[in-house]
This record gives sequence, C-alpha cells and structure tokens, in this order.
Amino acid sequence: MKVGADNRWQRGLETLAAWLLAIVWAAPLLYCAWTSLHHPGDVARMDLSAPLTVHNYAYVFNAAPFPRYFLNTFILVTMVIVAQFTLSTLAGYAFARFRFPGRNVMFVLVLLQLMIMPDVLIVENYRTLNTMGLTDTILAIAMPYFGSAFGIFLMRQTFKSVPKELDDAARIEGAGTLRTLVSVYVPLAKPVYLAYGLVSVSYHWNNFLWPLIVTNSVTARPLTVGLQIFSSGDQGIAWPILTAATLLSAGPLLVAFLLFQRQFVQSFLRAGIR
Amino acid sequence: MKAMLKTMAIASIACATTLAALPAAAVEISFYYPIAVSGPLTKIIDAMAADFEKANPDIKVKPIYSGNYGETLAKALTANKSGSPPQVAVLVASDTLTLIDEDAVAPMDQFVKTPADKAWLDGFFPAFMMNGRYLGKTYGVPFQRSTQVMYWNKDEFKAAGLDPDKPPQNWDQLVEYGKKLTKQDASGKVTQWGLIVPSGVTSHWFLQGFTTQNQAKLTNEAGTEAYLHTPAAIEALSFWTDLARKHKIMQEGIIDTGNAPNEFIGGRAAIMFHSTGNLTNVKNNAKFPFGVAMLPERKQRGSATGGGNIYIFKKSSPEQLEASFKFVKWMTSAPQAARWGIATGYVAGRQDAWDTPEMKQYQKDFPPASVALQQLPFCAPEFETHAGPRTTKALEDAIAASLTGTKTPDKALADAQAEANRILRSYK
Repeated sequence: MKVGADNRWQRGLETLAAWLLAIVWAAPLLYCAWTSLHHPGDVARMDLSAPLTVHNYAYVFNAAPFPRYFLNTFILVTMVIVAQFTLSTLAGYAFARFRFPGRNVMFVLVLLQLMIMPDVLIVENYRTLNTMGLTDTILAIAMPYFGSAFGIFLMRQTFKSVPKELDDAARIEGAGTLRTLVSVYVPLAKPVYLAYGLVSVSYHWNNFLWPLIVTNSVTARPLTVGLQIFSSGDQGIAWPILTAATLLSAGPLLVAFLLFQRQFVQSFLRAGIR
Repeated sequence: MKAMLKTMAIASIACATTLAALPAAAVEISFYYPIAVSGPLTKIIDAMAADFEKANPDIKVKPIYSGNYGETLAKALTANKSGSPPQVAVLVASDTLTLIDEDAVAPMDQFVKTPADKAWLDGFFPAFMMNGRYLGKTYGVPFQRSTQVMYWNKDEFKAAGLDPDKPPQNWDQLVEYGKKLTKQDASGKVTQWGLIVPSGVTSHWFLQGFTTQNQAKLTNEAGTEAYLHTPAAIEALSFWTDLARKHKIMQEGIIDTGNAPNEFIGGRAAIMFHSTGNLTNVKNNAKFPFGVAMLPERKQRGSATGGGNIYIFKKSSPEQLEASFKFVKWMTSAPQAARWGIATGYVAGRQDAWDTPEMKQYQKDFPPASVALQQLPFCAPEFETHAGPRTTKALEDAIAASLTGTKTPDKALADAQAEANRILRSYK
C-alpha cells in the first residue's frame, strides 16, 4: 500500500518536473511568437489585450528575397551533409578496421583539428578559396566543412564497436571491403548518422560569420546572412520584426525537429552525443 | 536557310551594336556597406548605385551588403589580407586608425586635383571630419553619421506638471525633472523611470556625451594617448553613475543599448538619450507626442559624433582607384547625401545637402531632424586611438564597473587609464 502511494508521489513529481522543463524550453519560442504578432509600441509593456497583427511577417517577407535564401540554405546543408557522411564514413572505416603505416599519426592529426576553432581559419580559408576562384559561391561556404574531424572520430568509434564476427561473416559470404561497409557497418550506425546529421544540419543552418565573409550576392547567401538586416545597431532593435524574421527562418528546422523528435532523442541516447 | 542566315546576320549586327554601345572596358568596383538601421535599405543603396552607373557608363558598381559594422570590418580586412579588398567600403568613422594600421586605405587627398574636388572635400562639417583625419590627411569622409540627442515624452511632462515644450537644459534640471518623472506603484516598485541612458554596446559613446559637456578630452589627435583618469572625466562618470545609484531616476545596472528605444516607446522611461538613428523608429512607433533636443549642458553643450565614413581601399588598380573616387564623390554629393539622410534618418554630412529643396521640405515636415545639425558645433569625435577596440574595451569595462557599483568611478577610470597606457605604449 505504502509503496503504491510512494509511486504515485514519484509519478506526480516527475510529471510536474516534465511540465516545468517543457515550459522553460518553450518560453522563448512562445515569447517570439507573441512578439512577432504585435505592434512595436505594445511589446515593451507585455499587454495581453494588445491588438494582433501579421504586418511584421509581411514586412519581413517583402524586405528580403527570403525564398531564395531558403533555397540557398537548403542546398548548403544538403551539400555539407552528403560530403560529411561520405568522407567520415570512408575515413572512419579506414581508421577503425585497417592497419597501415602512419595510421596513428594521421588519426592524431585529425583529432588536432577538433581543437581548432573554425573562426581562426577564416583568413586562410578565404585566401585558398580566392585562389581557386570560388568566393561568392555556395560551394565556398560548404567546402571548409567537408572533412569533419568530429565526424571521422565519431564514425571510427562507432565502427570499432561493431562485432568483428559480423564483418567476418560478411566476408565468408563473399562480400568485398566496400560491400561489407555498406551492408554491415552503415546500417548498424544509423542512429549515429541521425544524431550527427542533426548536429551538423543545425550548425550549418545557423552558421553566420563565414557565409557572410565569403559570399557577396543574393544567389549565394544563406538565410542567416539575409536575416541580419533586421538586427540593426544604430537604431535600436525592432523586436517584432526581428522575431518574425527569426521564426520564419528557424521554422522549417523547428517543424522537422518536432516531427522526428522521438527518433532524434532515441538516436542521441544510443549514439552518446549530448 | 536563307531566312536563317538573314536572322543570324541581323542578330550579329544587333550584337555588335550593343557591344559598341558599351564602353571598351568598364571598370568594376565593389562596395561593401553595413546596415545599422533596420528596413529594406539595401534597395535604396542598389538604386543609388544604379543611378551612378547611369551617370557614369564606364564604371560598374557592385554593392555588397555586409552585415553590421563589426562584420563589415571583418569581411573587408579578411578580403584585404588575401589581396582582393573591396574598392570602397562604409565603415565606422572611428575605425580610421585601425584601417591605417592595417595599411588598407588610401587618403582622399591623393585624388583631389581640381578646384571642384577641393570644394567637395572642404564642404563637409568639421565635426564629422575629425575621426577620418590623421596626420593632416583625410582617409574617410562622412556618409552615414549620427550624434546623440535627447528624446522626451511630452505627455509624461504634462502629467508631472512640467512644461511639455521645455526639456531639461542642464545637469541640475535633468535630475530635478527626472525625480518628478519617476513613478512608483503602491508597493514602491518603479513603473516609469525619469531617464534612460544606454550602457550596453557602445557605452563609451554615451559616456562621451557627459565628458564633452564637462569639457573632458579623452584622447590626443594622433590617437597615441588616452586621458581617462582626469578630474573632468571622473566627474562625468560619477554623474552618470549617480543618476541611478544616488538620484534613483534611472534603472540601476547595465541598460541594453538596442532595447532602450523600446523602453522609451513603451512608456517605461520619460527621457531618453540616444542616437539620431532612432528618429525614424521613435517617430513611427511612439503613440505619444515627443520632442527632440540637444543634450543638457554642464560647462557647455556637448555630444559625440558616431556612425560611418566611406573609405577607399588602396590595393586596387589605378583605374579602379579613380573610379572609386568618382563614386565616393557622387555618393557624398549634396543630392545623394540628402536622399540617404531622408531615407535613413542619418545626419547628412555637408551644408549644401541641407540646402537642397528636398531636405528643406523634410526639415519643415519633421523639425526634430535639424536638432542634430544645431548641436554639431559642440560635438566631439568618437573615442579613437591606435588599437582602438582594446582601449575602447578598457573604457567600457570601467563604465560597467562604475554603473554596477563594483568600483568607484575614480578607481574604475584609474584602472582603465593604466590598461590604456599599457596598450598604447608600443604606438608612441
């Protein structure tokens, strides 16, 4: 009897905690949504009865070529994720399962890259891309991120944890090196791909400084750079406009996350990325 | 077949004529510009560039929007380091020394040849030229400039029994009015502050209002020395600190610069010190009548100039340099300066721009626009030394320490002075 009561208490506390966390998590978003639907004069006072307006959204949409920016961001993250998955898989597999001279030295070199902030390399990367004649293209924004040390490290660790017996079995069945990789290793690493993909996509969706520096025209610039017009310094921040623009640009990512939430959370738990 | 040949012939003739219509080799220049006031201003810049090209068919201008001021500087210097800088850029006026130390910009003087050029260069307001000049040469000319002014809420003045058309004229009146304008609810919680002075981003610039009124000079002309720990400067910072901590007419702690206008527009502060860049914002969004005036005086009136100058980058071909100078001259000419000033609310940098019919009409329709102009003779240049970002940070740290009460104004400025001396040692 007593145990049951304890359980009920515990259940109740857990539910309460879950609600609290949910509210804390959702508060900024709700505030964003609330602010974006009001006139600037009403926002500072948080008057709940203030009149609603969609004017801010219309203003934002007309002030910048958003559809084009959406497309650019989409191309950018797709390009990055495809290249990162391919390169990390191949390199991670090599580090995990092959013995070759200099393997450890090379792996240490890859790990060293983890310790360098990408922003430090802006000038050097710009110079390289300028020599290649690639500045002001989407490829230029993406290219420095193709070889991801984090991705290689992650795939190596994942592939190492795949039982050698599965590998052997595949080889006895007559599978070659690539075939084993594609049919045995990659399917087993699915949760890791999903988790890594989410981290990478959200990073590149939000990346700002490098795209701003390396691109000049509307045809190459992603959403974040387009959005910057609305956070003005000299004039004070127009929160309603800024929040409307933020919701517009974060929207697709947010919707995708809510749709696949369960899968994401599970894969994070399994992949051990937090 | 014959018909096709004929079409081709016509097409090629058409092609040839279009080609002939174009000048032999159009010089292309790129133009980086930041946007620090919100709104679809990129469209106005594009239109201005297009008009320039129409007037100068042998030059092609590529306007490139490049974020805020800090990001534009980063972008321009990155491009400059890899040998492909923009030809022209709008950057903060007080970045002049940084750009010179990076060997990035060319002095305007080397392009000034005709009397017309000279008249153009001499036509700018001296107050706006101070930041862009170094050792007798002019590196940046005013493009989008601003200064601090005082905004006040006329409804609240009336409610507090003050004359809504008479803003505070000096520091004592500011405190006196501020006390009358600060409102509390039954529990003693303040519902409306008398005054709001931003102390977040660019707090050093807001300090310069007080120091200039108190006749404290913060740097020497060469930018090799900072004078932060002087009696006049200490008194200025003490006054600012006391507004919140002693007189209780302003919120304590750091006040966000970007959000301050929202507090004023939302009726949570009755007087605001802020950039003229906010004129359009307040005009469009305040639901009460408001006034704009010069900042209150102490020993004199005083404010600081801010905003962006236009620069020419030196690592360009001679043709590009000449084209850039033409472009800069055109963008800052009276009609264009007036056009940009009216569109943005920035203070046009030359008298002849204020004399254009459009500008006269604008002033008539919106008298507050000319307050900045009247205040200009009392304005100091924005704080600028070599290694500017670092000395500015030392000063801003001192302001934050004083306003939050972790250090006395005297101690805070003494520390900032020591830090500035250390930073500037290698530039002497």
